[in-house]
Amino acid sequence: MAPEPPLLTMSGITKSFPGVRALDGVDLQVQAGEVHCLLGQNGAGKSTLIKVLAGAHQPDGGEITWRGERTALKSPIAAMRLGVATIYQELDLVEHLSVAENVHLGHEPTTAGFVVRARDAKASTAALLKRLGHGEIDPGRLVGELSAAQQQIVSMARALSHEVRLIVMDEPSAALDPDEVDNLFRIVGDLTADGVAVVYISHRLEEIRRIGDRVTVLKDGRAVAGGLPAKDTPTKDLVALMTGRNLEYVFPDRPTGPPAAEPVLTVRGLTRHGEFEPLDLDLRPGEIVGLAGLVGSGRSEILETIYGARKASAGQVSVGGETLRPGSVRAAVRAGLGLAPEERKAQALLMLESVTRNVSVSTMSRFSRGGWVDRGAELRAARAATRELSLRPDQPHVPVRTLSGGNQQKAVLARWLLRGCRVLLLDEPTRGVDVGARAELYAVIRRLADDGLAVLLVSSEVPEVLGLADRVLVLREGRVVHRAPARDLDEHRVLDLVLEGSPAS
Amino acid sequence: MTQPAPAAEAAAHKTAPADGGSPWRATLARADVRTLSLLGVLAALILIGGVTQPDSFLDTDNLQLILTQASVIGVVTVGMTFVIISGGIDLSVGAIVALASVWATTVATQEYGFAGILFTAVVVGMGCGLVNGLLIAYGGMVPFIATLAMLASGRGLALQITDGKTQMVTVDGVLRLGERDSYVLGIPPLVLVFAAVTVVGWLLLNRTTFGRRSVAVGGNAEAARLAGIDVRRQRLYLYLLSGLCCGIAAFLLIVLAGSGQNTNGNLYELDAIAAAIIGGTLLSGGRGTIVGSVLGVLIFTTITNIFALNNLETATQQIAKGAIIVAAVLVQRRTANNH
Amino acid sequence: MPTHTSRRGLLFGAAALSSGALIAGCTSNEPKDEGSDDKEQQVADDKPGKKVTIGFAGPQADHGWLNAINDQAKKRAEKYSDVTLEATEGSNDTAAQIGQVETLINKKVDVLVVLPADGKALTQVGLKAMKAGIPVVNLDRVFATPQAYRCWIGGDNYGMGLSAGHYIGEKLKDKKNARVVELAGLDNLELTKQRSKGFDDALKNYSNIEKVARQAADFTVESGQSKMSQLLQAQKNFDALWNHDDDQGVGALRAIKQAGRDDFLMVGGAGALSAFQAIEADNSVLKATVLYPPTMAASAIDLARALGQSKGVSGMAEFEIPSFVTCYSAVVDKDNVDQYMSTGFK
Repeated sequence: MAPEPPLLTMSGITKSFPGVRALDGVDLQVQAGEVHCLLGQNGAGKSTLIKVLAGAHQPDGGEITWRGERTALKSPIAAMRLGVATIYQELDLVEHLSVAENVHLGHEPTTAGFVVRARDAKASTAALLKRLGHGEIDPGRLVGELSAAQQQIVSMARALSHEVRLIVMDEPSAALDPDEVDNLFRIVGDLTADGVAVVYISHRLEEIRRIGDRVTVLKDGRAVAGGLPAKDTPTKDLVALMTGRNLEYVFPDRPTGPPAAEPVLTVRGLTRHGEFEPLDLDLRPGEIVGLAGLVGSGRSEILETIYGARKASAGQVSVGGETLRPGSVRAAVRAGLGLAPEERKAQALLMLESVTRNVSVSTMSRFSRGGWVDRGAELRAARAATRELSLRPDQPHVPVRTLSGGNQQKAVLARWLLRGCRVLLLDEPTRGVDVGARAELYAVIRRLADDGLAVLLVSSEVPEVLGLADRVLVLREGRVVHRAPARDLDEHRVLDLVLEGSPAS
Repeated sequence: MTQPAPAAEAAAHKTAPADGGSPWRATLARADVRTLSLLGVLAALILIGGVTQPDSFLDTDNLQLILTQASVIGVVTVGMTFVIISGGIDLSVGAIVALASVWATTVATQEYGFAGILFTAVVVGMGCGLVNGLLIAYGGMVPFIATLAMLASGRGLALQITDGKTQMVTVDGVLRLGERDSYVLGIPPLVLVFAAVTVVGWLLLNRTTFGRRSVAVGGNAEAARLAGIDVRRQRLYLYLLSGLCCGIAAFLLIVLAGSGQNTNGNLYELDAIAAAIIGGTLLSGGRGTIVGSVLGVLIFTTITNIFALNNLETATQQIAKGAIIVAAVLVQRRTANNH
Repeated sequence: MPTHTSRRGLLFGAAALSSGALIAGCTSNEPKDEGSDDKEQQVADDKPGKKVTIGFAGPQADHGWLNAINDQAKKRAEKYSDVTLEATEGSNDTAAQIGQVETLINKKVDVLVVLPADGKALTQVGLKAMKAGIPVVNLDRVFATPQAYRCWIGGDNYGMGLSAGHYIGEKLKDKKNARVVELAGLDNLELTKQRSKGFDDALKNYSNIEKVARQAADFTVESGQSKMSQLLQAQKNFDALWNHDDDQGVGALRAIKQAGRDDFLMVGGAGALSAFQAIEADNSVLKATVLYPPTMAASAIDLARALGQSKGVSGMAEFEIPSFVTCYSAVVDKDNVDQYMSTGFK
């Protein structure tokens, strides 16, 4: 189909991180001058793949061919020299440097090898910005003073300041207004007309339809379909490819009886400006309620605001009829809330400490008299909690960092079990947990609910929400767009709601 | 006197129900290896001292001397270890020692005798610690800057109090405490205080909720906050503790030097930080031991002692001291990594 | 002591003057009140003369000796009804001190007395004052060029070592295989090296004496205690100790007391009140101290006043004050401590 060898061929790329196989033999083929879209759910391996492409990660296995020749992208600089430029989702600009300095960072035009020719740098930056349709950005301004959209343009100018043949754009439209998106697409069109290839990552199907040439779908670290025509492949086929599972999830049965009548957690009009709109929510003991939505839909923010880790702009949270002081984690914990945050390592665990100490950290005062810790009692109690959750290995003194992702999550759950909390807030509970270990974690969560806990679950994996929760709230851009019992929803419908914002027929 | 402590730590690990898990054994081994390698460095130093100066190095007088010299900075280092474990730093320890020692030796304070001097030293130390803690925990200041400010103003205030003069102690009880007649079973009272602070510090770190919270705050402040720990209050207490240690150290220094001077505690901040780091405390927080820090202090003091006994020149001393610090840290890293 | 007196006499001689520099004793705190009957030489005396405004800029008094410098200058100025002293707030910051001296120049004081925080760094401002017609008396820390001052007066670090060495040498000259120990000051400073050199040079005159150990403290009580206790442990017997600085000597004496040692003779340095008191009480090993006299500040005021009144100094034939005055490092022991007691600093 291609008259000349493809610009880039990746085949059988594998990459593992401790506990997770992020890429499990991915194939990708990109032609010069095309817009190649990568599609996949969170955790499907898109980020890892583009980091391999950018030279930031070294693959464990597989082969990369560039313009017909085998190559290794040993470092970001090596990738850049070949002509691969990457625009990351989190912009990697230096706020305190000017636009021109950022654009030329690391390859400044110099005289005699070290004297920076600032005027040349500014002139070439101005030319690049003009080419990108943003001649109004002054190359001398500090990047920190620019809007998010303008920063995106600077990032792109930086990519183009090299001799580029392939540009990777990771969700470039996420921070942009509609007319800025139009400008972005115009730039993409100009680039491809010049023979530059674009690897484009987006959650928005309508964008893929507008500018994409071909689509590769990633799922659980594999390319489940490669080189599909972007314009004509039916939406339902793409959704099916994204969700169709190699490994069936095993979800525990839901309880047959109705949950208790009295809600334990009541949320009324809870708001954080710029993050999510007023939210009402009742949560009863024994019930699991799921929040489904994409990154940026406000789901984690909602959990953290209920927990008091973020201070609400308006509204209130009560537990057992008692209103919590806003913005106080300690008040929430005292009232019986517990949070298993999304970033387990950064927000929940003391990685150097033992399992026991991680479990007992919220309950220390119970095992201490006058500040003196009764370590025997502490150990027995922590151990009872970890055994109840079948945490492996059953060794209370190992440092928690040596545990697998699933068992680390159990350590966090055990902390709240030991505390005797009434409401459990779970943010992406299976993030970084091996697919095989998930079923066990689901069973644990359901069992905790059956024992009378109320669970509020956030997950970007739609099947997880549907399989585990009793009721589901679908979020899009900080707003609840749909509420329904989990039984009445299916994955396609939720994905439609999440991706398109309106219930598709 | 410091020997019982490492043994106690090892014993404490062993009394915990062992489940025979190999990862746990590995951790235990690693913790012990770190301490053992420090003991190894100390043993090597003792060997060097014994070989080069067999007469003057290996006698009771010299042991008393080394431990006495280690006492003042040792007490400061115990407080510093807590602060570093919690992810902070206290650059003001030397200045606090200076300020407490001159405030406690003014003519007015000395009128209240022994108790007046002791009380003033401790209260001034804790007062400075309180200010540090409030600025850092509730004022949102970076520890480096807040304690640097305390360093500057503490030294300034000390100078203002003394006018650059040496304040001689006239209270007999205080003076006597630093002399040979007061030794208890051959142990100088200063060393007893140092030992007591070490033991209390060890217990505080390893057996109390305070110690747990300190480690949690240093290991992952965000996780500690989300686990319901009052991180700010904990930070306040930690700097207060460091201030208290400085107050005690100031009193010991008054006893030792028989005077108060605004130049006291010169560069204690660096010595204490260095001893803690050599002792295996992570500068980034979350891990550290009292035993390691105390061994670090003893290594430093022994080095200084050997140098003086061998009559080395100042320049040679400084070069060799730098080399030994690097060597001690490398030995420790190497042995810890091989396990 | 007789050797010192004769040496002093010699240096007063014309031979020294002809070389352009005069090394004069200025340890005396007594007023120079000898009347002059030579009508052609105008010498400064206690009688009120022309009004003189003296600008005085010193470093921050964070050390007993510097404190004494300020006190000596102020007291001396108060003594003269014709002298107005404009003293600045002491500063260790070179830039701040330059600013202070410039302010004094702008105020058009008649004479400047400057003890620089750093002699080299303040040379320019000294030159500026001289060019503005304000004569500068440079106190102790010397400017980089003689053009920056009309007169320099200061202490003699090498001489301190010499005096200490000679004193100890004379005390031990009949003892066989005498052992001497030196507790030096901050080794980073050139003055410490000069003191040690003078000490060593003096000891070379005594073949029976060997210096067996030298350790450096850093002028603080704490370091004195620490280094001295190590020295005592290292040297189980010796006959004499010279300690460079009486401040660190407080710590050294404490260490000696703690070690229960009294088998040697100790000589101090600088001239602190506590050292004088100990010498007078004669109940410790400290038997003498060699001066680095703070009275040089009082003498600087005398010289500045004489300059302002265009007079010479009494007891000397010169019409003008000397351009270079090095103060003698006298040895103070039990015999003459009374005389010096009032100059001791805290």
